[in-house]
Amino acid sequence: MARAKAEPQQQPSTGMTLIVLVGLAITFLLLMALLNVAKSGNILGEENLLFAALIFYSGAGALYLGFGVTGTESYVKFASLATWLGLAANTAAIAHRWYESGHAPFSSVYEMLLSFVWTLAVLTLVAEKKYDVKVIGTVTMPVAIVGVVLMQLLRTEVHPLVPALQSTWLHVHVTLAMLAYAACALSFALALMFLIQDNLKTETVLAVTSASTVGVYASIVLTRFERGALNLVAWNPESKSEVFISRGVRLFVVVPDLGWLMMLTLLVVGSPLVFYGLARWKKNDSFLTLANRAVFLSILLQVMTLVMFLVRARDGRYPSLDADGLFPTNLAASPFILSGLVGGVFMSLLYLLLLWRRPDLSRLLPSSDNLDRITYKTICLAFPLLTLMIASGAYWANQTWGSYWSWDPKETWAAITWLVYALYLHMRITRGWRGRRAAYFAIGGFAVVMFTFFGVTYLLPGLHAYA
Amino acid sequence: MASNFRAFGHKLWRTIASIQTGVVLLILVVILAAVGTVILQRPATEADEMQSAYSPHMLRILDSLGLTDVFHAWWFLGLLALVSVSIIAASIDRFPNSWRYFSRPYKYPDESFRRALRPQKSLAITDEESGLVAAERALHGMGYKPERVVREDHFGIFAERHRMSELAVYIVHASLLLIFFGTMVDGIWGWRGYLSLNEGQTSNQIEIHDGSKRTLPFAIRCDTAGQENYQDGTPKKWWSKLAVVESGRDVKTKEIVVNDPLLYNGVRFYQSSYGSNGKVNKLTMEATPSNGSGPKQSIALAVNESASLDADTTVRFAEFFPDFAVRNGEVYLKSNQLENPAAHLVVTSKAAGKSFDVWFPAMPEVADNSKAPYLLQATDLKMSHYTGLQVSHEPGQWGVWSGVVLMGVGLTFVFYVVHMRFWMVPVRDPRTGMWSLWIGGTANRNRDAFEQRFNELVESVEEELKLLAKTAPREQVTTIAGN
Repeated sequence: MARAKAEPQQQPSTGMTLIVLVGLAITFLLLMALLNVAKSGNILGEENLLFAALIFYSGAGALYLGFGVTGTESYVKFASLATWLGLAANTAAIAHRWYESGHAPFSSVYEMLLSFVWTLAVLTLVAEKKYDVKVIGTVTMPVAIVGVVLMQLLRTEVHPLVPALQSTWLHVHVTLAMLAYAACALSFALALMFLIQDNLKTETVLAVTSASTVGVYASIVLTRFERGALNLVAWNPESKSEVFISRGVRLFVVVPDLGWLMMLTLLVVGSPLVFYGLARWKKNDSFLTLANRAVFLSILLQVMTLVMFLVRARDGRYPSLDADGLFPTNLAASPFILSGLVGGVFMSLLYLLLLWRRPDLSRLLPSSDNLDRITYKTICLAFPLLTLMIASGAYWANQTWGSYWSWDPKETWAAITWLVYALYLHMRITRGWRGRRAAYFAIGGFAVVMFTFFGVTYLLPGLHAYA
Repeated sequence: MASNFRAFGHKLWRTIASIQTGVVLLILVVILAAVGTVILQRPATEADEMQSAYSPHMLRILDSLGLTDVFHAWWFLGLLALVSVSIIAASIDRFPNSWRYFSRPYKYPDESFRRALRPQKSLAITDEESGLVAAERALHGMGYKPERVVREDHFGIFAERHRMSELAVYIVHASLLLIFFGTMVDGIWGWRGYLSLNEGQTSNQIEIHDGSKRTLPFAIRCDTAGQENYQDGTPKKWWSKLAVVESGRDVKTKEIVVNDPLLYNGVRFYQSSYGSNGKVNKLTMEATPSNGSGPKQSIALAVNESASLDADTTVRFAEFFPDFAVRNGEVYLKSNQLENPAAHLVVTSKAAGKSFDVWFPAMPEVADNSKAPYLLQATDLKMSHYTGLQVSHEPGQWGVWSGVVLMGVGLTFVFYVVHMRFWMVPVRDPRTGMWSLWIGGTANRNRDAFEQRFNELVESVEEELKLLAKTAPREQVTTIAGN
């Protein structure tokens, strides 16, 4: 799907070629999907439904992006249609899982992602229909796609619930959490749109997107680079879980050469940032032209890295430094690297979209005042949901462990998220914060949400295990 | 001097009640809470784990700053107290104004207000009365209860909805304080502990989490406890049948499961774990006389129990090792986990005047099982189980839950209930003498949706005016006739 989007990007000149290319790319995707579904006998299996959802969401994302790029209004109709179809497949997948497991699908990260993506798609359609924010899909659909990709990788078997999780309150809690988080994601997308409408300098976007991608690659290189190779967690295909040497210590395998490739990509991804710095320092705009070229180059390299990563880390056996013999690995063992790589490509593509199509975007988006107001409204929706989510979680904890609040990291970060949005509301209502400051706040709030959702689950225990 | 002091007090009050103070305090809470999730915390992390994670020097610094137990450190609790003070001060500071607004609604707009208000609209009317009637009808039609306001020789119509919304923010703040209050009460008078009971055991000693013990005025007995598994062996359900014993009588019994605790006198007992306690409930075995001259008998023994096998032979269950090791012909206890169990039985024969050791499993280097007058064969080993109960006393939790409910109500009002006000005043142009109906409205939030509402109202008034114009002549006739 990255390719499908890269094609329109590489030709800034508008016209029929572009429309045909996007159309072809989508037809190709749909055909592939149909073939894949038809190949495996059980058409309505959960895997296939999710795959269909992924394809439709990708198609929608491509069409939204295509709309952003070409301004062809008819794309939106098809994009909405694709989102509807994806939503239908997504709903069916949830229903299927619910039916199979006998409990609402909210008991694992996988199942929560399922509901999160669903809510996000619903909210995207609402924002589009009710508030006329047509291009919102260019931001939310990639988030949804990353979500579905992660889902395909995470373990999917239906697990029986351990005693502590058998509670209606848990379902209430997680449903509310997903609704709240999806609303936060939407407010984030709207705040981004606002910044575009508010004439945020294109160079600033360049700096931010480059810095984010640099952050992705730098953290990969810093934590996983091993003499030119890349350290990946070993994967046990039978138990479908990571391999542990001892409690909390994972076994790593080294994938040769991938480390150098990551290093190279880090350098190229960092170059736009260097050129941007030069442009600011020397006050010479010709460096910005260089920076834009470097972004273009970095996208090509990022896509290449992603493909190499997919090819090498999908399966295969590699040696380990800690144990003798060859150990298998799997994409599922490195969900964060993968989502980081996919996210990096999206971020760079979004920058190019802005760079080339800014006037069109401005014409198509609602006015900045409206976007500001809708962002606020979305947060007004998210905040009570967050409150109820925390309350129901506390009630559940009290029923299960006899304590409604015990300051565990997840609880604490949920409270922090709540406080951040409470601050936003206070600043807005009593101090009259509008516009840019409010938008930055909304973006920061979503970063905290993401950390609460993923970071606490994966980074904090990891930190504790290795510290 | 006194005025100086008062000025200082006033300044201090302004500082405490200001939104900046509140925001700074909240930011501090956010930062410190985040720190508390990154640094390992004391009660939850074992001491040796802490030592392996940080260097001794580092650990000393962290400990002395209270960073290894942020959420119970005096400065964190103090900060939360300051937040409460700031919320209270800010609410007190702003409440009188809101209350005035709430208790004395502004019903008749004066001229300067009429000039400034947006949105507003003027419609031409034939006379004062028809304007008022049309306004009332339109408002009735939209579900409002219009009120006729008289000011000297002027009339006006006022209608509003959800005035409560103006005070909603105080409800939210009050609910937050209620929650804080509840947790504070729990922090001071509440406690949490653990109680482990073997089946059949009675106890009133609770192990509190800080290591101390607490004696309850009543005791808890566990009659039976059990576990149900899924097909793949993971636990599905734990249950325990508990009885509350007070002065020798059973006053309450309940079968508890996870998520469904037993509550007695404000103390809650939660099912939290279940397992084997390494003790034997019954060991079942078959005994056949070694010389083959008797029937096979089945006996079941608990530790230290004995049974007679025949007139002058008894067997006693002497020892049990859940996990054993043998060294130099001696049996040692390796651990208390049920990993590798061994049972020691003693068969005593009065006739021979001798005792024989029998071990399960057979250990030739310790004792020769075949010397005993009976051949013993273990058939079943039933372990006894314990049930793990979390015990808590949270006298403040009612404050917390009512605070939560109140907050839900308050937030609903804050975000979704809009205080809408409409005024309509017939105005006579002093120059031309023509009447017009001034319509104005305002909402405390969600203004764009309100504007739509306002336009609907204006349209509706126009309709009513047209209708009135059609029927007006007849109405006038009736009025005259009535006079």
